[in-house]
Amino acid sequence: MSRFLNWLRDGVGFDILLVGAALLFLVALAGAPLIYNVLMSFQQVDMFTLGVLFRPFVGFDNYVAVVRQPEFWLVTRNTLIFVFGSMTGQFVLGFALALFFAQNFPGASTIRGLFLVSWVMPGLVVGAIWSWILAGDFGVLNVILKSLGIIQSNIFWKSDPNFSIWAVIIANIWLGLAFNMLLLSVGLAAIPKDLYEAAELDGANAFQRFWTITLPMMRPTIGAVLSLGLIGTLQQFDLFPALTEGGPANTSNVAGFWSWQLSFQLYDFAKGATVSVMMFLLVLFASVVYVRSTRHEVRG
Amino acid sequence: MTKTYTPWFLLVVALALAAVYLFPLYWMYVTSLKTGSEMFANPPTFWPNNPNPGIYPEVWARRAMPTFLTNSVLIAGGVTAITVILGTGCAYVLARYRNVWIDVGLFCVLMLQVLPASVMVTPLFVGFNQIGLLNYPRTAVVLAAAAKAMPFFVVLVRATFMSVPRELEEAALVDGNSRIGAFFSIVLPLARNGILVCAILTFMSAFGEYIYSKSIIQSPSQQPASVGLSGFLGPNSTDWSSIMAYSAIYVTPILLAFVILQRRIVSGLTSGALK
Repeated sequence: MSRFLNWLRDGVGFDILLVGAALLFLVALAGAPLIYNVLMSFQQVDMFTLGVLFRPFVGFDNYVAVVRQPEFWLVTRNTLIFVFGSMTGQFVLGFALALFFAQNFPGASTIRGLFLVSWVMPGLVVGAIWSWILAGDFGVLNVILKSLGIIQSNIFWKSDPNFSIWAVIIANIWLGLAFNMLLLSVGLAAIPKDLYEAAELDGANAFQRFWTITLPMMRPTIGAVLSLGLIGTLQQFDLFPALTEGGPANTSNVAGFWSWQLSFQLYDFAKGATVSVMMFLLVLFASVVYVRSTRHEVRG
Repeated sequence: MTKTYTPWFLLVVALALAAVYLFPLYWMYVTSLKTGSEMFANPPTFWPNNPNPGIYPEVWARRAMPTFLTNSVLIAGGVTAITVILGTGCAYVLARYRNVWIDVGLFCVLMLQVLPASVMVTPLFVGFNQIGLLNYPRTAVVLAAAAKAMPFFVVLVRATFMSVPRELEEAALVDGNSRIGAFFSIVLPLARNGILVCAILTFMSAFGEYIYSKSIIQSPSQQPASVGLSGFLGPNSTDWSSIMAYSAIYVTPILLAFVILQRRIVSGLTSGALK
C-alpha cells in the first residue's frame, strides 16, 4: 500500500492522477454525451420516452425525416451563408487592422488590445446591443447609412427575409473580428524585419512586399485563424435568440439554433439530436483542418 | 508629411478606428441614459440632452437583477473552480511530456474544444434527466459548462507551463523534493500568473453562459443574468432603454476587469491559441 502511495507521490502515478481526473470528467460530460447523441439520432426520443433507458430503435428514420423537413435546405443554405459571410468579414477586416497596428506608433498595442473587449462580452449582450443598432425604424445604423447616402430608405435588418441572416452576420463579425486581428498580429510580429528591408532595397513596392513576403510567411497563421474562425462561427448560438430567433420564417436560422429549437421548443429530441450529429460532422471537418494547421505552426 | 509626424498621425487613425469599433458599447450606455421621447428622436442624439440614470435602479428592481446576477456568479464560480482544479494538472502533464500518448491526449482536448454547445445540449439534457440531475439544475449547468470551458483552459495553461524551465523542477527533485512537492512549491508558483489570467477568462465566459442555463434551468429564481436578459429581448422588443441599462449593469464589471487586466489577457491568449 505504501509502495503504491509512493508511486502516486513520486512516480508517473502522480501524472496519471492529474491527467486522469480531467480526462474522466471530460469523458463523462463531453465524450459520453457525444456518443449518446449519435445513439439518440437512431432512436425514438420524445416526451414519452425521454426518461426511459431503453428506447425503440428506428434506423435512419430520423435522418430521413430531418431532410424532408421543409426548412432543411433553407437552414443548410443559411448555415453556409452565415459561416462564409462571418469568416470573410472577420478575416478581411481583422487582417487589415492587424496590418495597420503592425506599424510602429505610440500606443499601438494598447489600442489594439482594447478591441478585444468585444470578444469577452456575453454573446447575449452583444446580440442585444446590435438588435438595437439594427432596429428598422429607429436603429442608428440606418440613420448613419442614410446620412452617408448609401441607402435611401430604412432597411428592416431583422424582419426583412433578405437581410435577417445578415443582421446576425454583422453582429458576429463584430464579435469575432478582434480575435482574428489579435492572432494575425502575432503572426505578423514573427516575420523577420530584414526580409522587408532587403525587399525594399531591391525596389519592391508595398503590394509586392505583401504578396511575396507577408502572405507566404503568414500561411500557417492564416490556416489556424481561418479554421478557428470556422469553428467559432459554427459554435455561435447566443446571437440568434437575441437578434432574430431564426426568423422571419427561418430565413436567419442555422443548424445549431435549429437543432436547439427542435429539441427545446418542439420537444422533438430525436430530430434535435439528428441535426446536431450532422452539424458535428461539419465541425469535425473544421477541426481536422485546425489540428493540421497548428501542427505546422509548432514545427515551423 | 515628414517622418516625425507619421507616428502621431497613425495614433490618431488608430484612435478613430477604435472609436468606430467600440461605438456599440458607447451606444449601449448612451441609450440607457435617454428618456422616452429622446429614444425615438429622428435624427438620434449622439449625446443625451438630459442624461437620466433613473432607469438603472428601476431595471435593477423590476427585472430582479440581484437574483439573476447572484446565480451568474454562482454558476461562473462553480465552472471556474472545477475547470481550474481539474484543468491545471492536466495542462501541466500535457506540457511536460512529448510522446504519442500525449499527442493523442492533446488531440482529444483540441477536439473537445471545438464541440459547439448546441451539439451537446440535447444529449446532456436527456442524460441529466435520466440520472435525475435535472432536479439540481444549477449544478447540472455548472458541470456542462465546465466541460465546455476546460479544453480551452487546458490549451492556454499548457502554454504557460511550457514556459516554466524544466531545470528548476529537476533541481528540486535532486534536492530531495517529492514530485508532488516540486509541483506545488516550484512549478505552480511560477505558473501562477498565467493560471490566474486563464481562470479569469474562464470566469468571464461562464458569466455570460446562456444556452445550457436556458435549456436546463426552468425556475427564474435559479436562472443567470443571460437568461434574464433574453426574457425581454426578441425580434419585437421596444423597451430599449431598459434592455440597454440591464446590459450595461451586466457587462460593466466584465469590461472593467478586462481593461485592468488587458495586457496579461492579450499575452496569455496569444501564447496559447496558436501553439
